[in-house]
Amino acid sequence: MIFSFLFKDNPFYKFGEHLFVGVANGYYIALYWHNSLRPNLYEQLAAGNYIYVVPLLLGLMYFTRFIPRVAWLVRIPIGFMIGWGAGLSIPAFFQAEILRQLQGTVVLPAIFADAATGVWALIILIGVSCTLVYFFFSKEHKGVLGYTSRVGIIFIMIGFGASFGYTVMARVSLLIGRIQFLLGPWLGLIE
Amino acid sequence: MKWYEIISRIDRRIIYLLLTFFVVLPFFIPLTIPQNIMPQTQKLFDFIEAIPQDDKVVLISFDYTPQTMPECRPMAIALLKHCFARNLPVIGVSYDPQGPGLAVEAFATVVDELNAHAVTREDSLVYGEDYVYLGWKSGRIAALLEMGENIKGVYPRDHFRNAVDSFPLMQRVNNYKQVAIAIVLAAADYPLDWIRYPQTRYGVKVGTGLTAVMAPKYYPFVQTGQVSGMMSGMKGAAEYEKLILDKGYAKELGTAETGMNSQSMIHILIIVFIILGNIGYFFARRKKSES
Repeated sequence: MIFSFLFKDNPFYKFGEHLFVGVANGYYIALYWHNSLRPNLYEQLAAGNYIYVVPLLLGLMYFTRFIPRVAWLVRIPIGFMIGWGAGLSIPAFFQAEILRQLQGTVVLPAIFADAATGVWALIILIGVSCTLVYFFFSKEHKGVLGYTSRVGIIFIMIGFGASFGYTVMARVSLLIGRIQFLLGPWLGLIE
Repeated sequence: MKWYEIISRIDRRIIYLLLTFFVVLPFFIPLTIPQNIMPQTQKLFDFIEAIPQDDKVVLISFDYTPQTMPECRPMAIALLKHCFARNLPVIGVSYDPQGPGLAVEAFATVVDELNAHAVTREDSLVYGEDYVYLGWKSGRIAALLEMGENIKGVYPRDHFRNAVDSFPLMQRVNNYKQVAIAIVLAAADYPLDWIRYPQTRYGVKVGTGLTAVMAPKYYPFVQTGQVSGMMSGMKGAAEYEKLILDKGYAKELGTAETGMNSQSMIHILIIVFIILGNIGYFFARRKKSES
């Protein structure tokens, strides 16, 4: 049914699409109730752990958006989540994605113990530097800055090409998986 | 219509038909297209090879989804076969809501296959002793951090509602200190959370099995050593299948290797279409400028 959309939109595709949305919603509601809400809230309150009233109230405040007179209350749980998320994420993000990545870009003499590794380390350094120059917009890209940013564009294009190639591979894999299912377990034409 | 206009405006339905034909063809005409092993896949294999037996466990996070099964399921199967062949205990978890059913299926497939050939109790895989599946948890960042202190605090019960304390395997696993590597099989950015939180705070080694579309984002993490090995897409899965076959941990190749033959055919077809489209475009542009 879903593959029939490749020809053109039709009622069979629409039926398949709506069926999927319905099944997915049912699955998520059951999963969240049995694995999250029931053990983490309902059973805790039933056991007399009344501190769990606090997350219950914070959760209910999200629904105040639907009542204009008290809609401002929604800012409380949103503020709580932003504060918690930012406090947790900022140091972890800096450590994992900036400091460690900077360390990985720095070329040290020890890297040249293996010639190939040394060459790749230099290419990474040049690529990172030139790409950063391309995103430096405070000065017109002329002269040395212009040449360097053009090298940066080449690295960016190679990156886009790699991403596109991998995306094609991922999407084709999805089709291969469905064909394997249709020819195998469904039609029994292949093992 | 001129020839260059025809090749640059091929009906998409013809392209879909050709794609389907070239995907199906290798299933009926067996091809042997050689696959080289990429360094990041080899690194993951070598890492698991180097884990001492009777020491630490391998933690696998099953975070793929039904639509990405063709890429991630063969990774899960190959990884489980590798770990069980080396007698490494496996703990499974999930942070994607769609993960639990697929994790249970992957465990069952491998365990049933290996137990079918078991002769003695020692050859058999027993739930709770050799492997455990703890299930899905919401609020994964809090869960990932809390597991650094006490895994049983986060998962007092497993996916099947059994008390985790009752399992011999879990009696010797308290936190990440007993985990040799956490391997995240994911169709979304879950590995990044493992790198940001458990690795930054507790030094957990992280490996990944990713859909191909996610792989380019994680190469910098392999280069810095933050990711100890990576399988990228169906190709990564096929490579891992080949590695465990060559080492004698599996009797035959899995579904990824078969799929890679179709994959290679489709890549050639897409390259041909890209070349045709470009030829059509440049001829059309030249004719336009001449006129």
